[in-house]
Amino acid sequence: MLLKRICWVFTLVLATSCSLLAGPTKEAGKELFSGNCASCHAKDMKTASTGPALAGLEDRWSTFPRKDLYSWIRNSQAMIASGHPRATELWAKYKPTMMSSFPGLTDEQIESIILYVNDPGAPKVDAANTGAQTVASEPGLPWTYIGLASVLLLLAFALMRIVNNLINVTRVRDGLQPIEKTTKEILTTKGAVAFFVFSLVLIFGYKTVDNATKMGREQGYEPDQPIAFSHKIHAGINKIDCQYCHDTARRSKHASVPATNTCMNCHAAIKKGTISGTKEITKIFASIGYDPMTNRYISDYDTWSEKQIEDLYKKWIGQEYVSTNSLTSLDEAGKSLVESQWDGIVKALRDDTNGKIQGPIEWTRIHNLPDHAYFNHAQHVSVGQVQCQKCHGPVQEMDVVYQYSTLGMGWCISCHKQTEVKFTDNPFYKQYNQEYIKFHKKEVSKPESEMDKVFVEDIGGLECQKCHY
Amino acid sequence: MHHDNGIWVSSEDLAREESFLQSAEQEFSVENIDQTDGKWQTGRRDFLKLMGFGLGAATVAASCEIPVRKVIPYVTKPDEIVPGVANYFASSFVNGGDYCAVLVKTREGRPIKIEGNSLSTVSHGGTSARAQASVLSLYDSRRLQYAGKVKEGQVEKIDWTALDREVKAKLAAGGNIRIISNTIISPTAKKALGEFTAKYPTATVVTYDPVSSAALLAANEQCFGAAVIPNYKFEAAEVIVSFGADFLGTWISPVEYARAYAKNRKVAGKKGAKMSRHYQVESHMSLTGSNADNRLLIKPSEMGAAIVALYNAVSGNTGGPVPNEKVAAAMKKIAGELTNAKGKSLVVCGSNNVAEQVIVNKINDLLGNLNTTVDFSEASYQRQGDDRQVERLIGEMNAGQVAVAIVWNTNPAWDVAGDQFKAAFAKVGTRISFNGVMDETTALCTHAAPAHHFLESWGDVEPKAGKLGLVQPTIAPLFETRQAEHSLLEWSDSTNLNRQDPQPYYQYLKSHWASEIFNRQTKYGTPAAFWDMSLHDGIFEYAASGVSAAFNPAVAVDVNGVSKPASGEVEISFYETVNIGNGQYAHNPWLQEMPDPVNRTVWGNYLSVPVEWDQKNINGWKGLEDGQQVTVEANGKKIVCTVVRTFGQAPGSVAIALGGGREQGGCGVGYGVNVNPMLRTEGGFTQYYVADVKVTPTGTVDKDYACVQHHHTMGVKGLQDGKMINADEAVLAFQGSLTDRSIIFQTNLKDLQKLEDHLTEFHEETTHLNSQTLYPTNEEFFGTGLKWGMYVDMNSCIGCGACQVACVSENNVPVVGKKEVKRHHEMTWLRIDRYFYGDIENPRVVYQPMMCQHCDNAPCENVCPVNATNHSMEGVNQMAYNRCIGTRYCANNCPYKVRRFNWLDYTTADLFPSNEERVFHVEGEKTPYYADNLVRMVLNPDVTVRTRGVIEKCSFCVQRIQEGKLTAKQEGRAIMDNDVRTACQTACPTGAIVFGNMNNPESEVSKATKHAGELAYKVLEEINVRPGVSYSAKIINTNEELFS
Repeated sequence: MLLKRICWVFTLVLATSCSLLAGPTKEAGKELFSGNCASCHAKDMKTASTGPALAGLEDRWSTFPRKDLYSWIRNSQAMIASGHPRATELWAKYKPTMMSSFPGLTDEQIESIILYVNDPGAPKVDAANTGAQTVASEPGLPWTYIGLASVLLLLAFALMRIVNNLINVTRVRDGLQPIEKTTKEILTTKGAVAFFVFSLVLIFGYKTVDNATKMGREQGYEPDQPIAFSHKIHAGINKIDCQYCHDTARRSKHASVPATNTCMNCHAAIKKGTISGTKEITKIFASIGYDPMTNRYISDYDTWSEKQIEDLYKKWIGQEYVSTNSLTSLDEAGKSLVESQWDGIVKALRDDTNGKIQGPIEWTRIHNLPDHAYFNHAQHVSVGQVQCQKCHGPVQEMDVVYQYSTLGMGWCISCHKQTEVKFTDNPFYKQYNQEYIKFHKKEVSKPESEMDKVFVEDIGGLECQKCHY
Repeated sequence: MHHDNGIWVSSEDLAREESFLQSAEQEFSVENIDQTDGKWQTGRRDFLKLMGFGLGAATVAASCEIPVRKVIPYVTKPDEIVPGVANYFASSFVNGGDYCAVLVKTREGRPIKIEGNSLSTVSHGGTSARAQASVLSLYDSRRLQYAGKVKEGQVEKIDWTALDREVKAKLAAGGNIRIISNTIISPTAKKALGEFTAKYPTATVVTYDPVSSAALLAANEQCFGAAVIPNYKFEAAEVIVSFGADFLGTWISPVEYARAYAKNRKVAGKKGAKMSRHYQVESHMSLTGSNADNRLLIKPSEMGAAIVALYNAVSGNTGGPVPNEKVAAAMKKIAGELTNAKGKSLVVCGSNNVAEQVIVNKINDLLGNLNTTVDFSEASYQRQGDDRQVERLIGEMNAGQVAVAIVWNTNPAWDVAGDQFKAAFAKVGTRISFNGVMDETTALCTHAAPAHHFLESWGDVEPKAGKLGLVQPTIAPLFETRQAEHSLLEWSDSTNLNRQDPQPYYQYLKSHWASEIFNRQTKYGTPAAFWDMSLHDGIFEYAASGVSAAFNPAVAVDVNGVSKPASGEVEISFYETVNIGNGQYAHNPWLQEMPDPVNRTVWGNYLSVPVEWDQKNINGWKGLEDGQQVTVEANGKKIVCTVVRTFGQAPGSVAIALGGGREQGGCGVGYGVNVNPMLRTEGGFTQYYVADVKVTPTGTVDKDYACVQHHHTMGVKGLQDGKMINADEAVLAFQGSLTDRSIIFQTNLKDLQKLEDHLTEFHEETTHLNSQTLYPTNEEFFGTGLKWGMYVDMNSCIGCGACQVACVSENNVPVVGKKEVKRHHEMTWLRIDRYFYGDIENPRVVYQPMMCQHCDNAPCENVCPVNATNHSMEGVNQMAYNRCIGTRYCANNCPYKVRRFNWLDYTTADLFPSNEERVFHVEGEKTPYYADNLVRMVLNPDVTVRTRGVIEKCSFCVQRIQEGKLTAKQEGRAIMDNDVRTACQTACPTGAIVFGNMNNPESEVSKATKHAGELAYKVLEEINVRPGVSYSAKIINTNEELFS
C-alpha cells in the first residue's frame, strides 16, 4: 500500500515538473507583456492607462470560449466587425482608441501573458517620500518548488521510517530489542543536525548572493519631484520630441536634465497648466526670475530678497485665480490657494546650502549608474539609434517617471547580444570586414543562420573595457 | 673600461651585489613596514573579529537605504558647455620664463588636463612635466585664499579695498619702491608695470631668474648689443657642444630645444643615415648629458678652462687656464670637427660667468654660426633676470633706502644666493607679496595680495620676438585672489583700468592688443576679429624683422677672466632638476613623485657622488652607499644630506639639486635639504658650484631614502656557481631563448649595419622559436578591424618625464608619498627606465618609457582566477577593477613589471576612515591629501578612481579610444590618427611616442614601425608574449676616437 502511495506521489511530482518545463509560464508572460502590452496597459494591472486595466481579464471573458479572447488579442477590430458582444461592448467604451493587433502571438504566449496579468508580482512601492530604494520584488521561490521540496522531504521521512522498521524487524528476528527513538532523539542525531546546518548555509548563501546582486538596483524607483512635471503631457499628448529637452543625449554621455531656460522656450507663453494651473509652472518662473505679468526676465533677480519674490508670485497666482473664477477680489479659498502654492514653490526651490529661492531646480535623480560603469547616451542614441523607450520604458505615458529597467549588467549584456549593429549603414564599420566578423562568430560558435547578422557582441560589445575603465 | 655585459641600471647591478638581486627579485619591499606598533600583525582572534565585523558590515550595508541623489541642471545653460563633453581652451603655461603653449581641457567648467598647442612654433605641441603638472597646483588648498595682512605666517583677512587703501597710502608716502620679480614675458604686464613706475617715479623693477642666465645676457649685450637670448637652432646644427647647458631638461626653453634637437636624432632604419653629434662638457650627469654622444668629464671649476681649450683650438690662440689632459686633448679633436661643420655647428654654455659666455660667443662667431644656428631675429625673452640687481637691492635694503618692496611671483627669501636677503628684506618698511602661497618670502611680508593661478588669469606672453601668445582663464577664480597686474594698475590709479567691468584686466589686455599688437598683422581687418582669432588659437605669430648680428670687434676675449681650475680635493655643483626646478615647483606632488631622470630619486634632493671602479668591484665614493648620510661643508655652510651614487659624475666632484628643503608654502615642505645658502656670487653673478668642500660621512642612514632604481626590474640576473645567469634560468634552463633577455638594443651610428644584421637574425630566431607553440597564432584574430599599437622611438626619447606626469594626470594615478615609494608602491602606469651602457666611468644612457605592453599572448591574463584582466578584440589588455580581487598573480606574472597594486586606499575612495591613516598626507596635516575635495577636482571624470586592493595599469588611454571611436562613428567615417592620441603621446615634446591602429597601413604608427624596419623590436620578444608596443633600437653617434 505504501508503495502505491509512493508511486502516486512520484507521478504527481513528475506531472508538476513536466508542466514546469513546457507550456505557458509567467516569466515568458512578463517578457511578452513588456514587449507588447506595456506601452498601453499599466504594469500594475489595476490602473487604466491608454488601455484598460487588465486585472480580472479572465473573469470578464469567462462567459465566452477561450479562443474568443485569443482572437480579440490577435485582431480586435476584426472581432468588433464580426459583432462579438464583448468586443462591441469594449469598443463602445473605448472608441476611438484602438487596440493594436498582435497576429503573431500563439495561444501559449497569450496564456503566458494571462498568467502574468493574473499575478504581476508585488506592485511598486511608493518610496518617494522616504527616498528609499524600492526594488520591484521578484516573486519568491515558486510555490511549485516549495511543494516539491516538501514532498521530497516527506518521502525522505517515509523512507527513513521504512528503513528503521526493517532494521527493527531484523533485530526482532535476531532476538534483539527493537530500537525506539523519540522524535527528539531523531532530530538531534548527527546527520539531522548536519543536514539542518547545511540547509541553513545553503539558504543564507543563496539569499546573500541574490541580494548582493540586487544591491543598488532601483527598478521601479519613482520619487516625488520638486515640480510635478508630467512626461505624459509633454511627450505623450503634446508629442514634444525627447531630444528637444534632453538635447545632450545625442552628443554626450549624459542625457542631462534640461536647464530652466529650455523650459522657458515654451513656458514664456504657456503660463498656466491645464491641470495644475499656476501651481507648477510658477516654480519655473521663480527659478529663473521671470515676471509673467510683464513678460520680462528680472535682470537683478539674483539679488532679490525672498520677500520680493514672494510678493511677485503671490500677486501673479492671486491675479490668475481671480480672473479664472471671474471674481473681483481674492476670496478666502483663493487666499489659501495662494498660500499653499507659494509654500509649494518654497519647498521645491529653496536651496539647502544658501537658503535662496533663485537658482536651479534640484530634481531627484532616478537613473543612477555606479561610478565604475561607463555609459554613453550619444553612442546609443545617435550611433545605435536606439529608441529612448527601449531602456526608459513608456515615458510618454508616465505622469511621474519611474525607473523602468533594472539597469543591471545582465540587462545590458542581453541587449548587446540581441541588438544588431548598423553595420552596412555606417561607413565606420568598413574598417571591419566580413571575415573578421565570421572569425569572431566562429570563436563564440554561432549558428550558420546568424552568420550574416552583426550583433553588438560581435564587435566587442561584451568586452569589459567597453564600460569599465 | 668597458663593461662587457651590455646594459645596467646601477652600481649594485653592475657588481652583481646580493642586495640588488634581492631588491630586484622582490617586487615589493617589506623593509620599511613599521612593525613596532603591532598593527600589521593579525592573530587568530583578530582574524575572527575582523571576519565577524565583515559579516556584520556586509549585512548592515546590504540593508542600507540608497541615498537620494540630486540632479541639478543649469538655470541658463551656457552655449558652449555640454555636460559630459570636454572643452579645450588655448592658453599658455607660463611661470617666469618657463613657457609652453597649451590647450586646457575642461570638463563642466573645471580644468583637468593640460595638452600641448601644436599651432605654436615655439613648443610645437610639446609640453614639459612642469606644464603637465601645473593643473594640480590650481587645486591646492594651501594657496592663499584672500588678501590681508601677514602676521606670523598667517594672512589676517582684510578686503581688497581696504588693502588697496593701505597700500596706496604707503606708496604715496614716498621713499624708494622696488618690485622684485621673475622674468616677465608678458607685454601687457610690462605696460602695467610702466604705468606703475610712471605714477611712482621712485619705483624700479628688480628682475632675476630662479636659476640665472644673467651672464649670458650680459655677454650678449657686450658682443651683439642686445641683452637677449638668441634663437638657438639645434635642428640646423650638425655638431653641438654644450658646456654644462642642460638644454633638454632645464636650460631656457627645453621643450623647444628638445624638439629641434630630436629632429637630427631620428635615424631608425635609414641606411647611410646622418645624425647630429652632441658633445656635453659637464661634471654632473644632466638630462642633456645623458643624451649626449660623448660626455667630457670635468670638475665644476674646470669649465672655464675647457671653454678656453676649445677656443684656443678653434682660433689657434694660446694662453689661459688648462683643463685636465683628457679634455684638453679631446677639445682639439672637437675643434676640428666643429671647423669642418662651419655654420652648421652650435656651441652653448650654461655657466654664469661673463668672460666664459663671451668666449663661447666668439667661438660661435669664428665657426660662422652667427645668423645660422645662433640667430637673433627671433630672439628669446625667456630669461631677463640680472643677479647684479639683486645684489644692489640687498645693499639698498640694508641701507634702509627701500620703503616699499613688492614681490611678484618670485621667492627671493628662498632662492637668492647666500643668506643675506632675509635680514635685508626685514629692513623694508612695507613688504607686499603677490605670491599665491605662503612661501618663505610672503611669510616675511607685511601684506599679501595673492594673485590668481595662471589657469584663472588673463594675460599674454612674448617668449620670442614675433611669437606671442595669450593666457585665458579656464575657471572662475577659486578664491578671493586678484591678478597682480590688476593690483598694480589699481595702485597706480590707472585711468585705463575699467573698474566697473567684471574683468577689468581682461579689458585692459584686450585694448593693449588692439592698440599695440593688432598693427603687427594685416590678416584681420578689425581688432575684434584679430582678438577672437588670437584667443581661439592661443597664439599670434608674425615674422619679426630680421636682425643680423655681428660680433662687436671692440669686445676683447679675456681667456684669463674665466673661472680657474681649483685645487681642492672635492668640488660641489648645484643643479636645477627637470621636475621641481630650483624649488619653485616643489609644492606639486606630481612633480615631487616623478623620479629624477638620471638619479631616479623622488621627494627630495640627494648628493650625487661618483661611482669608482676598481677593476673588480665598486666601492663607491669613499665607501659610501646609497642612502647613507654625509655632512657637506661648503662656503661656510654645513648641511646633512643623503648620498646617491651616480654614474657619470666626474671624479673629485659631487652634485646636489637645488629645490630641496622648502620651508614654507605647501606639499614640498620637509623633503630634501636647502642648499641655496651655499650658493655664492662672483661679480654679482650667482655661481652654481663651490670649489672647496668637505664631505664627511655621518655614519647614519637616511631611513626615508626613496629611489625607484631597483623597483620593477626586468631581466633579473644572478650568480650561480660563479657564472652569470638569468634568475629564471635556473628554472627554465632548457629554454635557451631565455638566457639573454632583450630589453635594449643599442649601437653606434657607424655600426648601424651590424646591428641591423644582428636584429634581422634575432627576429628570425624569435619568430622561429615563437612559432613552436601549441597555441593558435593571433594573426587571424587581430588581422582586421582595429588593432591598437604603439611605437616608441628611443632615439627621440630624451627621458624628460612629461609623458609620465601626463599619464598621472589623465588616468587619476594617485600620489603615494615618499614612504610608500620606498616600499616599491609607486603607482605610475608609465615609468621611464634608465639604463647605462658602455664605459663604466663615463657611461652612456638609454631611456625606455615602459608601460603595459598589451601583449596579445599576455601572461597576466591566463593567471587571473576571476578573469578580471582579459583581451579585447582590438588588442587592448583590459583591466576590470571591479572584478579584481587582488590576488596579484598578474603582477607577478608580468614580465615587464608594469602592473600596480593599490596596497592602500591612496585616493581615499572608500568609506572607512581607518584606511586613510597610511596614505599620503601633506606634512603636518591631518586629513589625507586626496580627502581634500579641492584636490579631487583634478580627477578625470572619465576614468574610475581605483580603490584599495585592486591592480591597475596602462589602458592605452581607453577612454580616449572610446571617445575617438564615437566621434568617428557619429561622423560616419573610418577612424583616423588624430581621433585617438594617448596622453603620453600628446605630452611628448619630441614625438617619441606614436599610437594608432596597426591594421591601417596608412596610420602613423604602422608607418613609423615599418620605417624603423629591422631596428624595431619588441621588448623580451623571445618570450612570445607578443606585445603591442614596439621600440626602436637606440643609435648614437659617438666619436670613438675622442679619447684615444
